[in-house]
Amino acid sequence: MSTTSQKHRDFVGEPMADKPVTALSGIGETLGKKLEENGFDKAYVVLGQFLLLRKDTEMFTDWLKDSIGANSRQASSCAQCLKEWCDAFL
Amino acid sequence: MASTQLTDEELFLELKRFGFTPGPVTENTRPVYLKKLKKLREEQQQRGLRPGKTRTIGAINSTTGGGSTVASRPVSHDVTHLNTSRRPGRKSSLLGFSSDESDAETPLKRKGLGHSGRANRSSSSQQQPKIRPASTPSVAIKSRYDHSATPSSNFSLGQNGERRVSLGWGVGDRSRSDAGLRRYDDSGDEDNYEEDMEKKSRSLNGRGASRLNASKLAGDYSDSDEEEVSGLGVGDPECDRLEPRRNHPSVALSSDVTDRGSATDGQNTEATPRRFLNMGGSQGEDEEEDDLKRRDFSRLGDSRSHTLPRKPIYGSLTENHKGYTGKNSPATGEDGASRSNSTELRPRFSTYSGLSQTYRRNHSNHTPAPNHSCGHAALKRNVSAPEDELLQQFKREELASSGSFSAHYLSMFLLTAACLFFVLLGLMYLRMRGSGALEVDNVINSPPPEFDTPNKDVIQKLLLSLHDHLAFVAGQHDCGDPNHPNRSVSIDEASVYLLAQNKSFKGLINESLDWIIQKGQDVGIRLMGAVPDEPVTKVSEIARLESTHPKMSFTCRFRRAFFTIINRVLLIAVVAGCVWSVVCYVKYRWRRDETETRQMYDMVERIIDVMKTHGEACQENQDLQPYLPIPHVRDSLVQPQDRSKMKKIWERAVSFLSANESRIRTETQRIGGADFLVWRWIQPSLNCDKGSSKVWQGKAFPLDRRNSPPNSLTPCLKIRNMFDPVMEVGENWDLAIREAILEKCSDNDGIVHIAVDKTSREGCVYVKCLSAEYSGKAFKALHGSWFDGKLVTVKYLRLDRYHQRFPQAQGCSTPLKASGLATSVTNTTAHLQHHSSASSPGFS
Repeated sequence: MSTTSQKHRDFVGEPMADKPVTALSGIGETLGKKLEENGFDKAYVVLGQFLLLRKDTEMFTDWLKDSIGANSRQASSCAQCLKEWCDAFL
Repeated sequence: MASTQLTDEELFLELKRFGFTPGPVTENTRPVYLKKLKKLREEQQQRGLRPGKTRTIGAINSTTGGGSTVASRPVSHDVTHLNTSRRPGRKSSLLGFSSDESDAETPLKRKGLGHSGRANRSSSSQQQPKIRPASTPSVAIKSRYDHSATPSSNFSLGQNGERRVSLGWGVGDRSRSDAGLRRYDDSGDEDNYEEDMEKKSRSLNGRGASRLNASKLAGDYSDSDEEEVSGLGVGDPECDRLEPRRNHPSVALSSDVTDRGSATDGQNTEATPRRFLNMGGSQGEDEEEDDLKRRDFSRLGDSRSHTLPRKPIYGSLTENHKGYTGKNSPATGEDGASRSNSTELRPRFSTYSGLSQTYRRNHSNHTPAPNHSCGHAALKRNVSAPEDELLQQFKREELASSGSFSAHYLSMFLLTAACLFFVLLGLMYLRMRGSGALEVDNVINSPPPEFDTPNKDVIQKLLLSLHDHLAFVAGQHDCGDPNHPNRSVSIDEASVYLLAQNKSFKGLINESLDWIIQKGQDVGIRLMGAVPDEPVTKVSEIARLESTHPKMSFTCRFRRAFFTIINRVLLIAVVAGCVWSVVCYVKYRWRRDETETRQMYDMVERIIDVMKTHGEACQENQDLQPYLPIPHVRDSLVQPQDRSKMKKIWERAVSFLSANESRIRTETQRIGGADFLVWRWIQPSLNCDKGSSKVWQGKAFPLDRRNSPPNSLTPCLKIRNMFDPVMEVGENWDLAIREAILEKCSDNDGIVHIAVDKTSREGCVYVKCLSAEYSGKAFKALHGSWFDGKLVTVKYLRLDRYHQRFPQAQGCSTPLKASGLATSVTNTTAHLQHHSSASSPGFS
């Protein structure tokens, strides 16, 4: 079983409600600001993007890297977090 | 590329044409899908263009280095222009060499090292004309730095060094700590191209130093090669990232010029192992080189298109990225490298030359080109595995195989030798048996001294010949020779024979016979009188002579021995078989008796329960008769198809009940006009222990994150404390447990295997589900519930351990359902009640 961070576990453990984007695993202060600049101010909006990309983690990772300049570790962490959230709640 | 003019619908359709189903194209997803489209297109082109690559490269080779530099110049201008307009792209294309995957960076860094190092080696050792044109680009580039024309080794050094530097620069960027990269990322500011270059050059310097240190150790180099090779083999994501990275440098360096360069690099790296192999031998490897080159080019071509799609990190400049890939970014990379490295590189080249020397020396440790695209790693490894390594492996295999061969032969030889030895021993023993005559001869040869000396020899000879003759006769007889029907020889025949042997025996026959009698020892001749088995005391009584040591031919003896052995072995086998069959039969009978007894007791218990419940029902409901006809009880307890089988058991149960059960009385009643033997339950109702009331009794605690894992880990569960094996009664309580679990998880149709561990003290039940989510649901349903007065706990098990323990579960994939007809006693009684209550209205 891969190790997941506390942030990951916190996010995946419950419905995301109105959590900010910084609640996503892999998204910190800086990346969160960049996402907000791009119009993704809440985690559910990022979820929307993930779903638009048909829950494809690879494409979502690419999108994250391209749009806000996340590195691949951060991006894959975020993608994995969203994927698991979807598995659990969607 | 006209991708920017694609409308959303067109983009959608284009993507679908490649067999990829995209989601909706919105302003946010557009760039991602464009990138994907480009990647798919490149892949397609790549497949089509691969054969053409070599030709184009060959054409390119003809251009001079200067031309190449010139060519690169305008390109760089374009790139700069582009860069200013698309700064993120610029950043990405430059940093494209160095994606931010820090994990893969270090191996890549080392890969870059290896790459250039290898190139060093190969080019330095090679004077091929083919290399020349390849090195001209670097020469041309070098010329900018006023490098004097040095022997090709220097060129190659320089070329390699520079390439390496540029690679390293790309790599180094990557290998730079994430912090540095993040600085680029997080800044979000579009740096100027120049600024980027400065940063990179700065970092390059620092990196170069570190890399120098690293690369100085040639052993490190080769070790790192191997390390990164294994690292390459490890993970696909790494692979993917490495591939772009690896190829990006090669791609970057592969404009028209850099194509050649990287090709040379690749080819150099390819050639290197070959070179080393042939070091001792010839150096004529043109054809090899050609092959390598072609292979390299194809590889590069593959890798280029292949990697590019995956490459882009900061790819809002995706289209530019793709468009300029062949030219701009590589050229810019090169330019940047060259520009920034102009001053700093020169002092490095000397160290690089030193390094190349060391590399050359350590050629044996060098693992070649697996650095080239990871995607083609396997192919490349197969293709470019150093021949010396291959040879080494081959030798090792040969040694191993020959060693094993000799070991194998040795064992076989020993085995056959032992067998032969024993066979010979047996034969010799047989022969020895036959030659017992020797001792007889000895006995005969020592006649008692009472005979006259002159006659002694004659008598000896007589006796010997007589003995031989008798032995022969006996042997022939024993062997089944029809010529001699009698084993013994009459004395007349003996006399005749002896006289035929030697006239001088005539008078001595009687004397010799007398001597034999007197001797008393067994001289190999038995004297028989008229009546056999009577000791002969006088010569006159002798009627027949027989040999006690028959002389048989060897084959005859062998045959007899063989048959004897066979007979004895067969006899033993037959006896053993008889004994074994007797034992088996006894065991079988014993087991059968035990099962029958157990079934009988079980039946008795069921009857008692039936009667009990009926008795209670009668107490509550006075309309019912307090007795039950025996056949009715039987028919309700035993399924129709089992009735004939269970007949015997039923009979035994009935007799047991009538003999040993005091609470049930057997009597005759008239029911509906017919006489029935009935059972009446006599005992007043006690509060009978509903022994097997296996029911779920609610949850002890709510499941939250503290006492259960947040997400289900494996599809296998171990449920504890469902039962107490000591307390369980009845035959099928484990089925009841299974049913209980299935009922509890009736909403979960993902359970495929349940195993009740009857012997566990903890009352364990093992459950396997279709997937982790099903097991998670089952976990939530079962963990912390009360069952039969016990608190049930659940934990996850590893799938492989589960399969080790229950191999039959590996094949289970159909969900289990709780069956309505449970065989628990309560259910049967319920059935009976239902039956009886249903029948009564039916009657009325």
